[in-house]
Amino acid sequence: MTLINVVQEYFWGFLVATGMTLRLTAVSLVLAVVIGLLFAFLKISRYRVANIIADAYIGITRGMPLIVQLMFLYFGISSIVALSAFWAGSLALALHAGGYVAELLRGAIQNVDRGQTEAARSLGMSSSKSMRLIVLPQAFRRAIPSLGNQFIIGLKDSTLVAYLGVPELFSKAMTAAAANYSPFNTYLVAGTYYLVLVVIFTWMVRKLETRLTPYRQEATR
Amino acid sequence: MSVIDIKGLHKSFDDLEVLKGIDLTIETGEVVVIIGPSGSGKSTLLRCLNFLEYPTEGEIRVNGELIDPKKSDLDKVRQHMGMVFQHFQLFPHKNVLHNVTIAPINVKGISHKKANVVARDLLGKVGLPDKEKAWPSQLSGGQKQRVAIARALAMDPDIMLFDEVTSALDPELVSEVLQVMQDLAAGGMTMVVVTHEMGFAREMASRVIMMDDGNIIEQGTPEQIFGDPQEERTQAFLSQVL
Ligand SMILES: Nc1ncnc2c1ncn2[C@@H]1O[C@H](COP(=O)(O)OP(=O)(O)OP(=O)(O)O)[C@@H](O)[C@H]1O
Ligand SMILES: [Mg+2]
Repeated sequence: MTLINVVQEYFWGFLVATGMTLRLTAVSLVLAVVIGLLFAFLKISRYRVANIIADAYIGITRGMPLIVQLMFLYFGISSIVALSAFWAGSLALALHAGGYVAELLRGAIQNVDRGQTEAARSLGMSSSKSMRLIVLPQAFRRAIPSLGNQFIIGLKDSTLVAYLGVPELFSKAMTAAAANYSPFNTYLVAGTYYLVLVVIFTWMVRKLETRLTPYRQEATR
Repeated sequence: MSVIDIKGLHKSFDDLEVLKGIDLTIETGEVVVIIGPSGSGKSTLLRCLNFLEYPTEGEIRVNGELIDPKKSDLDKVRQHMGMVFQHFQLFPHKNVLHNVTIAPINVKGISHKKANVVARDLLGKVGLPDKEKAWPSQLSGGQKQRVAIARALAMDPDIMLFDEVTSALDPELVSEVLQVMQDLAAGGMTMVVVTHEMGFAREMASRVIMMDDGNIIEQGTPEQIFGDPQEERTQAFLSQVL
């Protein structure tokens, strides 16, 4: 098949699969932020046990190939509860990305001036209120570029979920390439879809960053 | 009645003993100015008053109640004490009005409407009635510090703590902040002020406390301390700063 033929044949099919890729990525990133926040708190906690748990989690998720974690978790999770491939895949991606998100949120939280917390506490706020109202909003705003970067990594990592049988973009490309004997053109088209997504997303993150009014600068340490 | 009553306060950071047995009573309506050389423990003493630092040893009573940092509800204790910092510490992600209302709304549970009324009144009093929509980063240092004072006052505290609040300001902005503090003092607010502004101490202090090396070495009226200091170290310190 020529490149033109491939585009004509698979344009819509790939687009639908792209929807699945985006859903996988978005769901896993949202879960990863929740997981990451939890482990970031454990990591900065003053309890030693919590620190150790966080270190272990971050170490494991960062220290093993994603495909191994994915298979391990997919078969592990689905042997305990019946989860669809989509949810097992999202959860596995989230658990993996969670380790990275934990580290970057920990950094962002610790980079907010200690004086901000002291000011909040001096007004009578509890430690959880000062975290929620004063520290976290500043930390998240500052983490936007790295969270955006994590999203892009997650988008590319989601290709591996093809091996769990989720009908996302890469699995569609594999099926197509096997059927039409034109792997070069087929993967070229699929690759372009990913590239376009990354470009659009990078632009959106930059927009978001500058849109948070130039006046809302953060108090840095 | 005394707002704060301290007996035998010691504070150490690891091996370093920073406060070495402080006794201090602050009566309602007093303006206590703390002076002393750098590193003498002025900030640490102030921060012990509202338990940003926990005493290593000693007793602190607030409004007559003995406070145990491990057991007492410190959030509640701090609601009665306003603090203003050298580096302002306004919340950069909130505009001026929200900086002033955030604690009354979220700590005291006051309605937004009521908190806004109080905040606007206070912003008027510190001379910034037209800045409520501004972001902290749009303000000068003097304006930031006045917002910080309004923010602390919004909790309706019994006592205000000031830690070198003019030290980070350009010289021409110092007086606008001191003016607000003078108005407060004149209005009967109980205040503890750590400062290098000897003019303020001379004019506004009901009592001046001289600290050196973790101890209160001398205290008295401004006339006594500035006119006739008894301790050699006080004399040496004053001859340096005056
Ligand atoms: N969190 C801390 N950990 C360790 N040492 C500290 C801490 N805070 C203060 N110190 C030390 O305690 C001593 C007294 O500090 P403090 O800030 O109370 O002095 P100060 O009188 O306010 O000085 P300055 O006029 O410079 O502000 C200093 O030697 C300081 O290094
Ligand atoms: Mg100090």
